[in-house]
Amino acid sequence: MSSVIEICHLTKRYGKQRGVSDVSFTVEQGDIFGFLGPNGAGKSTTIRSLLGLIHYQSGQLRVLGYDAKKEHTHIMQQVGYLPSETWFYPNVTVNDILKLAAEARRCDCSEERQFLCDKLQLDMHRKISDLSLGNRKKVGIVCAMQHRPRLYIFDEPTSGLDPLIQSIFFDLIHKHVEEGATCLLSTHVLSEVRDHCNRVAIMKDGRLLCCNSVAHLTRGHSKRIRMIRDGIKLDYLYHGSLDDLYKELEGHHIGDILIEEPSIEEIFMHYYGGEGTDVDAF
Amino acid sequence: MGGLGLICLLLYKSMEGSMLVIADSFASMGAFADAFGMSTLSIGTVGGYFATEIGTIHGLGSGMFAACLATPLLSKEEEAHTADFTYTLPVSRQRVLHAKALYMVCSLLLFTFVCFLFYLAGFLLLGEAVPYPELIHFMCAQLLMDLVIAGICYVISACTRKTKLGIGIGIAMFFYAYDLMSRILPALRKYKLFSPYSFANATDIFAHKKIPTAGISLGIFVILLSFLFSQILYIRKDLSC
Repeated sequence: MSSVIEICHLTKRYGKQRGVSDVSFTVEQGDIFGFLGPNGAGKSTTIRSLLGLIHYQSGQLRVLGYDAKKEHTHIMQQVGYLPSETWFYPNVTVNDILKLAAEARRCDCSEERQFLCDKLQLDMHRKISDLSLGNRKKVGIVCAMQHRPRLYIFDEPTSGLDPLIQSIFFDLIHKHVEEGATCLLSTHVLSEVRDHCNRVAIMKDGRLLCCNSVAHLTRGHSKRIRMIRDGIKLDYLYHGSLDDLYKELEGHHIGDILIEEPSIEEIFMHYYGGEGTDVDAF
Repeated sequence: MGGLGLICLLLYKSMEGSMLVIADSFASMGAFADAFGMSTLSIGTVGGYFATEIGTIHGLGSGMFAACLATPLLSKEEEAHTADFTYTLPVSRQRVLHAKALYMVCSLLLFTFVCFLFYLAGFLLLGEAVPYPELIHFMCAQLLMDLVIAGICYVISACTRKTKLGIGIGIAMFFYAYDLMSRILPALRKYKLFSPYSFANATDIFAHKKIPTAGISLGIFVILLSFLFSQILYIRKDLSC
Protein backbone atom coordinates (compact mmCIF):
# COMPACT_ATOMS: atom_id res chain seq x y z
CA MET A 1 0.00 0.00 0.00
CA SER A 2 1.22 3.51 -0.78
CA SER A 3 0.84 6.54 1.47
CA VAL A 4 -1.73 9.02 0.26
CA ILE A 5 -1.04 11.46 3.09
CA GLU A 6 2.35 11.71 4.76
CA ILE A 7 2.74 14.11 7.64
CA CYS A 8 6.20 14.31 9.19
CA HIS A 9 6.85 16.45 12.28
CA LEU A 10 4.26 19.08 11.46
CA THR A 11 4.50 22.12 13.74
CA LYS A 12 2.27 25.11 13.41
CA ARG A 13 2.02 28.01 15.86
CA TYR A 14 -0.29 31.02 15.67
CA GLY A 15 2.02 33.64 17.09
CA LYS A 16 2.46 32.62 20.70
CA GLN A 17 -0.59 30.38 20.59
CA ARG A 18 -0.25 26.66 20.10
CA GLY A 19 -1.46 25.14 16.88
CA VAL A 20 -0.02 21.65 16.46
CA SER A 21 3.32 20.35 17.59
CA ASP A 22 5.42 17.61 16.02
CA VAL A 23 2.54 15.70 14.47
CA SER A 24 3.43 12.72 12.29
CA PHE A 25 1.23 10.08 10.73
CA THR A 26 0.39 8.56 7.37
CA VAL A 27 -2.84 7.66 5.65
CA GLU A 28 -2.60 4.72 3.27
CA GLN A 29 -4.49 4.17 0.07
CA GLY A 30 -7.89 2.61 0.70
CA ASP A 31 -8.07 3.83 4.29
CA ILE A 32 -11.07 5.39 5.86
CA PHE A 33 -9.00 7.18 8.41
CA GLY A 34 -10.68 8.61 11.49
CA PHE A 35 -9.21 11.79 12.88
CA LEU A 36 -10.44 12.22 16.42
CA GLY A 37 -10.09 14.93 19.00
CA PRO A 38 -12.07 17.52 20.91
CA ASN A 39 -12.42 21.15 19.82
CA GLY A 40 -9.06 22.88 19.66
CA ALA A 41 -7.10 19.64 19.52
CA GLY A 42 -5.48 20.64 16.22
CA LYS A 43 -7.42 18.54 13.71
CA SER A 44 -8.50 21.46 11.55
CA THR A 45 -5.02 23.02 11.76
CA THR A 46 -3.55 19.79 10.45
CA ILE A 47 -6.10 19.58 7.64
CA ARG A 48 -5.72 23.25 6.70
CA SER A 49 -1.94 22.80 6.58
CA LEU A 50 -2.42 19.85 4.22
CA LEU A 51 -4.62 21.94 1.95
CA GLY A 52 -2.29 24.95 1.84
CA LEU A 53 -4.77 27.26 3.56
CA ILE A 54 -2.29 27.99 6.33
CA HIS A 55 1.50 28.04 6.41
CA TYR A 56 3.29 25.82 8.90
CA GLN A 57 6.62 26.52 10.57
CA SER A 58 8.21 23.11 10.16
CA GLY A 59 7.55 19.62 8.93
CA GLN A 60 7.03 17.87 5.65
CA LEU A 61 3.57 17.26 4.25
CA ARG A 62 2.90 15.25 1.15
CA VAL A 63 -0.50 14.55 -0.34
CA LEU A 64 -0.80 12.03 -3.18
CA GLY A 65 2.96 12.37 -3.59
CA TYR A 66 2.83 16.15 -4.00
CA ASP A 67 4.44 18.65 -1.66
CA ALA A 68 1.64 20.40 0.22
CA LYS A 69 3.56 23.67 0.30
CA LYS A 70 4.57 23.91 -3.34
CA GLU A 71 2.08 21.86 -5.32
CA HIS A 72 -1.25 23.04 -3.99
CA THR A 73 -3.04 23.14 -7.34
CA HIS A 74 -1.96 19.57 -8.23
CA ILE A 75 -3.23 18.38 -4.86
CA MET A 76 -6.57 20.15 -5.06
CA GLN A 77 -7.16 18.74 -8.55
CA GLN A 78 -7.39 15.29 -6.96
CA VAL A 79 -8.79 16.06 -3.52
CA GLY A 80 -12.39 16.54 -2.47
CA TYR A 81 -12.59 18.68 0.66
CA LEU A 82 -15.60 19.33 2.84
CA PRO A 83 -14.98 21.97 5.52
CA SER A 84 -16.72 21.76 8.88
CA GLU A 85 -18.73 24.87 8.08
CA THR A 86 -19.89 25.04 4.49
CA TRP A 87 -20.34 28.55 3.12
CA PHE A 88 -20.73 29.56 -0.49
CA TYR A 89 -21.44 32.76 -2.37
CA PRO A 90 -25.02 33.52 -1.31
CA ASN A 91 -26.54 35.04 -4.44
CA VAL A 92 -26.05 32.13 -6.81
CA THR A 93 -27.79 28.79 -7.25
CA VAL A 94 -26.54 25.40 -6.10
CA ASN A 95 -25.99 24.48 -9.73
CA ASP A 96 -23.82 27.57 -10.31
CA ILE A 97 -21.57 26.67 -7.39
CA LEU A 98 -21.26 23.04 -8.43
CA LYS A 99 -20.53 24.00 -12.04
CA LEU A 100 -17.93 26.53 -10.92
CA ALA A 101 -16.16 23.86 -8.84
CA ALA A 102 -16.26 21.43 -11.79
CA GLU A 103 -15.01 24.02 -14.27
CA ALA A 104 -12.13 24.93 -11.95
CA ARG A 105 -11.10 21.28 -12.23
CA ARG A 106 -11.72 21.28 -15.97
CA CYS A 107 -13.95 18.24 -15.83
CA ASP A 108 -17.45 17.46 -16.95
CA CYS A 109 -19.05 16.23 -13.77
CA SER A 110 -22.66 16.75 -14.85
CA GLU A 111 -23.63 13.06 -14.69
CA GLU A 112 -22.05 12.47 -11.27
CA ARG A 113 -23.42 15.80 -10.03
CA GLN A 114 -26.95 14.84 -10.99
CA PHE A 115 -26.52 11.39 -9.44
CA LEU A 116 -25.25 12.82 -6.14
CA CYS A 117 -27.93 15.52 -5.98
CA ASP A 118 -30.64 12.91 -6.57
CA LYS A 119 -29.10 10.61 -3.97
CA LEU A 120 -28.81 13.37 -1.35
CA GLN A 121 -32.18 14.90 -2.29
CA LEU A 122 -30.67 18.27 -3.13
CA ASP A 123 -32.50 20.76 -5.34
CA MET A 124 -29.90 22.24 -7.69
CA HIS A 125 -32.05 25.20 -8.69
CA ARG A 126 -32.33 26.75 -5.25
CA LYS A 127 -30.36 29.80 -4.24
CA ILE A 128 -27.57 29.25 -1.74
CA SER A 129 -28.95 31.96 0.54
CA ASP A 130 -32.23 30.02 0.83
CA LEU A 131 -30.57 26.79 2.01
CA SER A 132 -30.60 25.41 5.53
CA LEU A 133 -27.40 24.28 7.28
CA GLY A 134 -28.05 20.67 6.29
CA ASN A 135 -28.68 21.51 2.65
CA ARG A 136 -25.53 23.66 2.52
CA LYS A 137 -23.69 20.64 3.86
CA LYS A 138 -25.14 18.55 1.04
CA VAL A 139 -23.85 21.11 -1.50
CA GLY A 140 -20.44 20.78 0.14
CA ILE A 141 -20.59 17.00 -0.13
CA VAL A 142 -21.52 17.09 -3.83
CA CYS A 143 -18.82 19.69 -4.40
CA ALA A 144 -16.25 17.40 -2.78
CA MET A 145 -17.39 14.23 -4.53
CA GLN A 146 -18.60 15.17 -8.01
CA HIS A 147 -15.14 15.03 -9.62
CA ARG A 148 -14.46 11.55 -8.19
CA PRO A 149 -11.25 12.55 -6.38
CA ARG A 150 -8.58 10.12 -5.23
CA LEU A 151 -8.65 11.53 -1.73
CA TYR A 152 -11.55 12.81 0.35
CA ILE A 153 -10.96 15.06 3.32
CA PHE A 154 -14.09 15.55 5.37
CA ASP A 155 -14.17 17.80 8.40
CA GLU A 156 -17.19 16.88 10.52
CA PRO A 157 -19.22 15.84 7.50
CA THR A 158 -22.38 14.69 9.22
CA SER A 159 -23.15 17.69 11.42
CA GLY A 160 -26.49 19.06 10.31
CA LEU A 161 -27.42 15.99 8.25
CA ASP A 162 -30.40 13.83 9.13
CA PRO A 163 -29.71 10.13 9.91
CA LEU A 164 -31.01 8.96 6.51
CA ILE A 165 -28.67 11.27 4.59
CA GLN A 166 -25.82 10.36 6.95
CA SER A 167 -26.34 6.72 6.05
CA ILE A 168 -26.46 7.53 2.30
CA PHE A 169 -23.30 9.61 2.69
CA PHE A 170 -21.36 6.77 4.32
CA ASP A 171 -22.61 4.31 1.69
CA LEU A 172 -21.19 6.63 -0.97
CA ILE A 173 -17.88 6.87 0.86
CA HIS A 174 -17.58 3.09 1.20
CA LYS A 175 -18.41 2.67 -2.49
CA HIS A 176 -15.78 5.18 -3.57
CA VAL A 177 -13.16 3.71 -1.25
CA GLU A 178 -13.86 0.24 -2.63
CA GLU A 179 -13.17 1.72 -6.06
CA GLY A 180 -9.73 2.92 -4.93
CA ALA A 181 -10.25 6.25 -3.17
CA THR A 182 -9.02 7.17 0.30
CA CYS A 183 -10.84 9.12 2.99
CA LEU A 184 -9.67 11.22 5.93
CA LEU A 185 -12.60 11.73 8.26
CA SER A 186 -12.23 14.31 11.01
CA THR A 187 -15.06 13.92 13.50
CA HIS A 188 -16.24 14.15 17.08
CA VAL A 189 -18.68 11.30 16.58
CA LEU A 190 -17.03 8.19 17.96
CA SER A 191 -19.60 5.82 16.50
CA GLU A 192 -18.68 7.04 13.01
CA VAL A 193 -15.08 6.01 13.63
CA ARG A 194 -16.14 2.69 15.10
CA ASP A 195 -18.56 1.89 12.29
CA HIS A 196 -16.75 3.24 9.25
CA CYS A 197 -13.02 3.73 9.86
CA ASN A 198 -10.27 1.15 9.67
CA ARG A 199 -7.58 3.41 11.18
CA VAL A 200 -7.67 6.29 13.60
CA ALA A 201 -5.47 9.07 14.93
CA ILE A 202 -6.29 10.79 18.20
CA MET A 203 -5.20 14.38 18.83
CA LYS A 204 -5.07 16.29 22.10
CA ASP A 205 -3.72 19.77 22.81
CA GLY A 206 -2.03 19.99 19.43
CA ARG A 207 -0.23 16.67 19.80
CA LEU A 208 -0.87 13.28 18.31
CA LEU A 209 -1.68 10.83 21.09
CA CYS A 210 -1.93 7.68 19.04
CA CYS A 211 -2.36 6.44 15.50
CA ASN A 212 -3.33 2.87 14.86
CA SER A 213 -5.97 0.60 13.44
CA VAL A 214 -9.35 0.76 15.16
CA ALA A 215 -9.17 -3.02 15.66
CA HIS A 216 -5.76 -2.74 17.33
CA LEU A 217 -6.93 -0.02 19.67
CA THR A 218 -10.04 -1.86 20.72
CA ARG A 219 -8.20 -5.18 21.06
CA GLY A 220 -5.22 -3.80 22.94
CA HIS A 221 -4.10 -4.63 26.42
CA SER A 222 -7.00 -2.83 28.07
CA LYS A 223 -10.07 -4.81 29.01
CA ARG A 224 -13.45 -3.85 30.28
CA ILE A 225 -13.99 -5.91 33.44
CA ARG A 226 -17.45 -6.40 34.88
CA MET A 227 -17.63 -8.73 37.87
CA ILE A 228 -19.11 -9.47 41.26
CA ARG A 229 -16.16 -9.86 43.65
CA ASP A 230 -16.80 -10.77 47.25
CA GLY A 231 -20.39 -9.72 46.73
CA ILE A 232 -19.43 -6.29 45.35
CA LYS A 233 -20.37 -5.35 41.79
CA LEU A 234 -17.36 -3.87 39.91
CA ASP A 235 -17.10 -2.32 36.42
CA TYR A 236 -13.76 -0.85 35.31
CA LEU A 237 -11.06 -0.68 32.63
CA TYR A 238 -8.13 -2.93 33.41
CA HIS A 239 -4.79 -1.96 31.83
CA GLY A 240 -2.61 -4.90 32.92
CA SER A 241 -2.17 -8.39 31.48
CA LEU A 242 -4.71 -11.14 32.08
CA ASP A 243 -2.09 -13.12 34.08
CA ASP A 244 -1.82 -10.21 36.51
CA LEU A 245 -5.58 -10.00 36.70
CA TYR A 246 -5.89 -13.69 37.60
CA LYS A 247 -3.23 -13.25 40.29
CA GLU A 248 -5.13 -10.30 41.71
CA LEU A 249 -8.32 -12.30 41.83
CA GLU A 250 -6.78 -15.21 43.73
CA GLY A 251 -8.31 -15.63 47.15
CA HIS A 252 -11.42 -13.65 46.24
CA HIS A 253 -14.86 -15.05 45.73
CA ILE A 254 -15.91 -14.26 42.18
CA GLY A 255 -19.70 -14.39 41.75
CA ASP A 256 -19.64 -13.51 38.05
CA ILE A 257 -17.09 -12.07 35.64
CA LEU A 258 -17.22 -10.63 32.13
CA ILE A 259 -14.04 -9.58 30.31
CA GLU A 260 -14.57 -7.68 27.04
CA GLU A 261 -12.84 -5.29 24.63
CA PRO A 262 -13.27 -1.63 25.50
CA SER A 263 -15.47 0.44 23.19
CA ILE A 264 -14.05 3.27 21.05
CA GLU A 265 -15.76 5.66 23.45
CA GLU A 266 -13.84 4.19 26.35
CA ILE A 267 -10.57 4.43 24.46
CA PHE A 268 -11.31 8.05 23.65
CA MET A 269 -12.22 8.81 27.25
CA HIS A 270 -9.10 7.02 28.43
CA TYR A 271 -6.96 9.40 26.38
CA TYR A 272 -8.90 12.45 27.46
CA GLY A 273 -9.78 11.40 30.93
CA GLY A 274 -6.72 12.34 32.94
CA GLU A 275 -3.19 13.58 33.11
CA GLY A 276 -0.19 11.55 32.05
CA THR A 277 -1.98 9.43 29.53
CA ASP A 278 -0.17 6.23 28.77
CA VAL A 279 -0.33 5.53 25.06
CA ASP A 280 1.42 2.20 25.48
CA ALA A 281 -1.49 0.93 27.52
CA PHE A 282 -3.11 0.20 24.19
CA MET B 1 -22.56 58.88 -9.84
CA GLY B 2 -23.02 59.54 -13.54
CA GLY B 3 -26.74 60.12 -13.07
CA LEU B 4 -26.09 62.60 -10.29
CA GLY B 5 -23.59 64.42 -12.50
CA LEU B 6 -26.07 64.46 -15.37
CA ILE B 7 -28.81 65.95 -13.17
CA CYS B 8 -26.40 68.61 -11.86
CA LEU B 9 -25.34 69.39 -15.41
CA LEU B 10 -28.94 69.71 -16.61
CA LEU B 11 -29.62 72.13 -13.75
CA TYR B 12 -27.10 74.51 -15.30
CA LYS B 13 -29.60 76.04 -17.73
CA SER B 14 -32.03 76.95 -14.98
CA MET B 15 -29.22 78.41 -12.88
CA GLU B 16 -27.26 80.04 -15.69
CA GLY B 17 -28.41 83.60 -14.92
CA SER B 18 -27.87 83.42 -11.20
CA MET B 19 -24.54 81.64 -11.73
CA LEU B 20 -23.22 84.64 -13.63
CA VAL B 21 -24.19 86.85 -10.71
CA ILE B 22 -22.50 84.75 -8.04
CA ALA B 23 -19.48 83.80 -10.18
CA ASP B 24 -17.69 87.04 -9.36
CA SER B 25 -18.35 86.78 -5.66
CA PHE B 26 -17.12 83.15 -5.63
CA ALA B 27 -13.99 84.17 -7.56
CA SER B 28 -13.12 86.74 -4.91
CA MET B 29 -13.30 84.36 -1.94
CA GLY B 30 -9.52 84.05 -1.71
CA ALA B 31 -8.20 80.68 -0.49
CA PHE B 32 -11.64 79.06 -0.72
CA ALA B 33 -11.91 80.07 -4.36
CA ASP B 34 -8.35 78.80 -4.96
CA ALA B 35 -9.12 75.47 -3.35
CA PHE B 36 -12.16 74.85 -5.53
CA GLY B 37 -10.63 76.43 -8.63
CA MET B 38 -13.17 79.25 -8.81
CA SER B 39 -10.44 81.84 -9.07
CA THR B 40 -9.28 80.37 -12.38
CA LEU B 41 -12.56 79.21 -13.90
CA SER B 42 -15.88 80.98 -14.03
CA ILE B 43 -18.77 79.05 -12.57
CA GLY B 44 -20.91 81.04 -14.98
CA THR B 45 -19.67 79.06 -18.00
CA VAL B 46 -20.73 75.46 -18.61
CA GLY B 47 -17.09 74.28 -18.60
CA GLY B 48 -16.39 76.12 -15.37
CA TYR B 49 -19.63 74.88 -13.84
CA PHE B 50 -18.78 71.28 -14.78
CA ALA B 51 -15.22 71.51 -13.44
CA THR B 52 -16.04 73.19 -10.14
CA GLU B 53 -19.29 71.41 -9.30
CA ILE B 54 -19.54 68.08 -11.08
CA GLY B 55 -15.77 67.57 -11.16
CA THR B 56 -15.62 67.91 -7.38
CA ILE B 57 -18.59 65.58 -6.84
CA HIS B 58 -17.15 63.03 -9.25
CA GLY B 59 -13.70 63.21 -7.65
CA LEU B 60 -15.02 62.54 -4.18
CA GLY B 61 -17.63 59.98 -5.30
CA SER B 62 -15.33 58.00 -7.57
CA GLY B 63 -12.63 57.89 -4.89
CA MET B 64 -15.15 56.46 -2.44
CA PHE B 65 -16.43 54.04 -5.07
CA ALA B 66 -12.87 52.80 -5.67
CA ALA B 67 -12.35 52.36 -1.91
CA CYS B 68 -15.68 50.53 -1.47
CA LEU B 69 -14.85 48.28 -4.42
CA ALA B 70 -11.32 47.32 -3.39
CA THR B 71 -11.48 47.13 0.40
CA PRO B 72 -13.71 44.02 0.68
CA LEU B 73 -12.40 42.26 -2.42
CA LEU B 74 -10.02 39.84 -0.67
CA SER B 75 -10.99 40.15 2.99
CA LYS B 76 -14.62 39.30 2.27
CA GLU B 77 -13.64 35.73 1.37
CA GLU B 78 -12.62 35.21 4.98
CA GLU B 79 -15.31 37.36 6.52
CA ALA B 80 -18.07 35.53 4.64
CA HIS B 81 -16.32 32.16 5.22
CA THR B 82 -16.11 31.43 1.48
CA ALA B 83 -12.28 31.12 1.55
CA ASP B 84 -12.57 27.40 2.29
CA PHE B 85 -14.48 26.97 -0.96
CA THR B 86 -12.51 29.34 -3.19
CA TYR B 87 -9.03 28.38 -2.07
CA THR B 88 -9.58 24.64 -2.09
CA LEU B 89 -10.33 24.71 -5.78
CA PRO B 90 -7.29 23.82 -7.88
CA VAL B 91 -6.32 27.43 -8.44
CA SER B 92 -3.37 29.20 -6.91
CA ARG B 93 -3.76 32.19 -4.62
CA GLN B 94 -1.87 34.27 -7.20
CA ARG B 95 -4.48 33.46 -9.80
CA VAL B 96 -7.33 34.49 -7.50
CA LEU B 97 -5.41 37.63 -6.58
CA HIS B 98 -4.79 38.50 -10.25
CA ALA B 99 -8.38 37.75 -11.24
CA LYS B 100 -9.75 39.96 -8.49
CA ALA B 101 -7.31 42.76 -9.39
CA LEU B 102 -8.40 42.49 -13.02
CA TYR B 103 -12.05 42.60 -11.96
CA MET B 104 -11.29 45.73 -9.93
CA VAL B 105 -9.58 47.46 -12.87
CA CYS B 106 -12.39 46.49 -15.26
CA SER B 107 -15.02 47.75 -12.82
CA LEU B 108 -13.26 51.09 -12.50
CA LEU B 109 -12.89 51.31 -16.29
CA LEU B 110 -16.58 50.60 -16.73
CA PHE B 111 -17.53 53.02 -13.97
CA THR B 112 -15.45 55.79 -15.56
CA PHE B 113 -16.79 55.07 -19.03
CA VAL B 114 -20.43 55.07 -17.89
CA CYS B 115 -19.90 58.35 -16.02
CA PHE B 116 -18.25 59.77 -19.14
CA LEU B 117 -21.30 58.82 -21.21
CA PHE B 118 -23.62 60.51 -18.71
CA TYR B 119 -21.55 63.70 -18.71
CA LEU B 120 -21.36 63.62 -22.49
CA ALA B 121 -25.13 63.24 -22.66
CA GLY B 122 -25.45 66.20 -20.28
CA PHE B 123 -23.40 68.47 -22.51
CA LEU B 124 -25.31 67.33 -25.61
CA LEU B 125 -28.71 67.77 -23.94
CA LEU B 126 -27.71 71.27 -22.89
CA GLY B 127 -26.86 71.99 -26.52
CA GLU B 128 -23.38 73.11 -25.53
CA ALA B 129 -20.14 72.31 -27.32
CA VAL B 130 -18.56 69.28 -25.68
CA PRO B 131 -15.06 70.07 -24.36
CA TYR B 132 -13.77 66.68 -25.51
CA PRO B 133 -10.03 67.10 -24.78
CA GLU B 134 -10.62 68.41 -21.26
CA LEU B 135 -13.41 65.94 -20.51
CA ILE B 136 -11.39 62.93 -21.71
CA HIS B 137 -8.29 64.17 -19.88
CA PHE B 138 -10.33 64.59 -16.70
CA MET B 139 -11.90 61.14 -16.91
CA CYS B 140 -8.52 59.46 -17.58
CA ALA B 141 -6.92 61.31 -14.67
CA GLN B 142 -9.84 60.29 -12.45
CA LEU B 143 -9.41 56.68 -13.54
CA LEU B 144 -5.74 56.78 -12.58
CA MET B 145 -6.61 58.41 -9.26
CA ASP B 146 -9.23 55.73 -8.59
CA LEU B 147 -6.67 53.04 -9.37
CA VAL B 148 -4.27 54.54 -6.83
CA ILE B 149 -6.95 54.59 -4.11
CA ALA B 150 -8.15 51.11 -5.08
CA GLY B 151 -4.57 49.81 -5.06
CA ILE B 152 -3.96 51.01 -1.51
CA CYS B 153 -7.30 49.60 -0.37
CA TYR B 154 -6.46 46.29 -2.09
CA VAL B 155 -3.36 46.01 0.11
CA ILE B 156 -5.53 46.62 3.18
CA SER B 157 -7.93 43.96 1.93
CA ALA B 158 -5.03 41.53 1.51
CA CYS B 159 -3.87 41.81 5.09
CA THR B 160 -7.17 41.95 6.99
CA ARG B 161 -9.65 39.24 7.85
CA LYS B 162 -12.62 41.57 8.18
CA THR B 163 -13.67 44.20 5.68
CA LYS B 164 -12.35 47.55 6.87
CA LEU B 165 -14.61 49.72 4.74
CA GLY B 166 -14.21 52.66 7.11
CA ILE B 167 -10.45 52.68 6.59
CA GLY B 168 -10.89 52.47 2.81
CA ILE B 169 -13.34 55.37 2.65
CA GLY B 170 -11.19 57.23 5.17
CA ILE B 171 -8.21 56.98 2.83
CA ALA B 172 -10.21 58.43 -0.08
CA MET B 173 -11.52 61.24 2.13
CA PHE B 174 -8.04 61.93 3.51
CA PHE B 175 -6.55 62.27 0.02
CA TYR B 176 -9.38 64.61 -0.98
CA ALA B 177 -8.99 66.73 2.17
CA TYR B 178 -5.20 66.74 1.82
CA ASP B 179 -5.52 68.00 -1.76
CA LEU B 180 -7.85 70.79 -0.64
CA MET B 181 -5.50 71.76 2.21
CA SER B 182 -2.47 71.72 -0.05
CA ARG B 183 -4.25 74.16 -2.35
CA ILE B 184 -5.05 76.50 0.53
CA LEU B 185 -1.93 76.29 2.70
CA PRO B 186 1.25 77.52 0.98
CA ALA B 187 3.40 75.32 3.26
CA LEU B 188 1.73 72.21 1.87
CA ARG B 189 1.66 73.32 -1.74
CA LYS B 190 4.91 71.67 -2.77
CA TYR B 191 3.80 68.38 -1.17
CA LYS B 192 0.43 68.26 -2.86
CA LEU B 193 1.55 65.50 -5.23
CA PHE B 194 1.26 63.04 -2.32
CA SER B 195 -2.46 63.02 -2.96
CA PRO B 196 -3.67 61.45 -6.21
CA TYR B 197 -6.25 64.23 -6.40
CA SER B 198 -3.35 66.55 -7.30
CA PHE B 199 -3.28 65.38 -10.92
CA ALA B 200 -7.00 64.68 -11.27
CA ASN B 201 -8.43 68.04 -10.32
CA ALA B 202 -11.11 69.12 -12.80
CA THR B 203 -10.52 72.85 -12.45
CA ASP B 204 -6.77 72.44 -13.12
CA ILE B 205 -7.55 70.38 -16.21
CA PHE B 206 -10.32 72.61 -17.56
CA ALA B 207 -8.22 75.72 -16.87
CA HIS B 208 -5.29 74.10 -18.71
CA LYS B 209 -3.03 74.46 -15.70
CA LYS B 210 0.19 72.49 -15.63
CA ILE B 211 -0.55 69.03 -14.25
CA PRO B 212 2.18 67.71 -11.90
CA THR B 213 3.76 64.84 -13.84
CA ALA B 214 5.60 63.81 -10.68
CA GLY B 215 2.18 63.18 -9.11
CA ILE B 216 1.21 60.97 -12.05
CA SER B 217 4.50 59.07 -11.83
CA LEU B 218 4.06 58.66 -8.08
CA GLY B 219 0.51 57.43 -8.68
CA ILE B 220 1.66 54.77 -11.16
CA PHE B 221 4.44 53.77 -8.76
CA VAL B 222 1.92 53.40 -5.92
CA ILE B 223 -0.34 51.23 -8.10
CA LEU B 224 2.54 48.90 -8.97
CA LEU B 225 3.77 48.83 -5.39
CA SER B 226 0.26 48.08 -4.11
CA PHE B 227 -0.07 45.16 -6.48
CA LEU B 228 3.31 43.81 -5.37
CA PHE B 229 2.58 44.25 -1.66
CA SER B 230 -0.87 42.69 -1.91
CA GLN B 231 0.77 39.64 -3.54
CA ILE B 232 3.46 39.30 -0.91
CA LEU B 233 1.06 39.76 2.00
CA TYR B 234 -1.77 37.62 0.68
CA ILE B 235 0.32 34.68 -0.41
CA ARG B 236 1.98 34.47 3.01
CA LYS B 237 -1.26 34.87 4.89
CA ASP B 238 -2.99 32.15 6.87
CA LEU B 239 -6.57 32.01 5.67
CA SER B 240 -9.11 31.74 8.43
CA CYS B 241 -12.20 29.61 8.01
